Amino acid sequence: MEQLKITIALIIAILLQWTLRNVHEVFMYIDFPLIIVVYAALQRNTIKALLFGTFSGIAVDALSSGLIGANGFSKTLIAFAVSEIARRVYLDNLLLQIPVIAGACLLDDLVFYGLHRLFGQEPSAPFLTTIVYSLIGTTIAGTIIYLILGSFSVDSLKRRKRDSFSSRRQTRRRNPIRLGRR
Amino acid sequence: MVERSQKEVWKLTPWLMIALLLGNFLLMAYDAKTTSQERVIRVWTQAVANFVQSPVTSVTSGVTGYFQSISNLRSAQSENDKLKQQVQELQVEVQKSEDLAKENERLKTLLQLKTESKYNILSAQIIGRDPSLWFDSAIINRGSLDGVKLNMPIVNNGGLIGRVIAVSPITAQINLVTKDKSGLGGVIGELSTSSAIGVVSGNGKRELLEMGYIPGTIEVQVGEMVYTSGQDGIYPAGLKLGEVAEVRPGSATVPQQIFIKPSAKLFAMEEVAVVLYEPPPKPEYEKSVLNADKDNKKPKR
Repeated sequence: MEQLKITIALIIAILLQWTLRNVHEVFMYIDFPLIIVVYAALQRNTIKALLFGTFSGIAVDALSSGLIGANGFSKTLIAFAVSEIARRVYLDNLLLQIPVIAGACLLDDLVFYGLHRLFGQEPSAPFLTTIVYSLIGTTIAGTIIYLILGSFSVDSLKRRKRDSFSSRRQTRRRNPIRLGRR
Repeated sequence: MVERSQKEVWKLTPWLMIALLLGNFLLMAYDAKTTSQERVIRVWTQAVANFVQSPVTSVTSGVTGYFQSISNLRSAQSENDKLKQQVQELQVEVQKSEDLAKENERLKTLLQLKTESKYNILSAQIIGRDPSLWFDSAIINRGSLDGVKLNMPIVNNGGLIGRVIAVSPITAQINLVTKDKSGLGGVIGELSTSSAIGVVSGNGKRELLEMGYIPGTIEVQVGEMVYTSGQDGIYPAGLKLGEVAEVRPGSATVPQQIFIKPSAKLFAMEEVAVVLYEPPPKPEYEKSVLNADKDNKKPKR
């Protein structure tokens, strides 16, 4: 159920990314596939997050005039980084997830821009303005989407969290009264 | 389905990531190397995406149109009065232009000129915009089946918008002139009389185009019209680009920097037209120059 939920969310995210910019220019500053890839990584669904990163990135690149694979590269890298952080640090609180979305967005833009420069292609948008607007747009949209997705949480997710963070070891306390007896 | 433990997954993950990164990197390298005619993935994804983008575009334009018509009702009365006045003025103008047309006809007959339209036009609709915020291309609902080819100019009633950079059978991707850094030939004023011929290119800002290589000795005024010169081998001569918005003067040795405000409304473009224009073939001596034709992978020496 959880798997299906994230898969459907990713398909919707790609379709939104393809179409919403034609509805209004503001939507171009929201990276919907990135939000879902980070969400999958935060759920410690690492393999799925990596595959989602590549697939959604290529789907976006194919309709863009940029290099095919640049988005796939950056999103795969981010999926791995976020899932590694989520493995080590407890990030199940929405307030803790907000800086993760912001950081992922920033890194995604920097890697994407850097890859284009590496291949001798300069993106046409102004660097700093684009990064700042993208950071704001994606972080706000990500927070709202995570609130919606979080309301559909199921048992398998809880099990995975339990596996990642084992419960505290309970030490059995000896009875002090018994200690004195012989 | 094989259920893997978390430890197995963690062991597998770095290898999977490396494989995927390598795959993406190879794709990028291939894409950077290929010409726009060979971009198979792009072309076919566009064709598939058309089935999603077209209905969304028609639904959103329908909804927008509905709300637009509601808001228009408010100003209908005052607009009606203005229009009545305009109709009266136009009737006088029509009479004048009819007289002029007759005179024109008569003169043409005298000069034995043939009246024929220069280029064929194909109307199209923008069905999608670039999903990446770093680029600004658009997708139209006309493709190779309609006769659209690479590098064909795209215009709307304001002037030049851009050119076709990829074509699928049912869609085509266009690059906006404001984002095209490769440049195009432009002329300030009429081509036959003006000597202000230079190169116009996008400068990253959506509002303005930049024109270079105009000698500092040539006088350029703000508000003058700029047209395509046809010397780039892609665009035909005489397409309207915009008007001069700012002039940074040069000197006898330093060319002046000119900023042009595009006359086409690039924010509000929905309906566009493809100019079915193919540039004349390059002469032999031009083809022999290195890098003159990017499709020639091994240039003749």
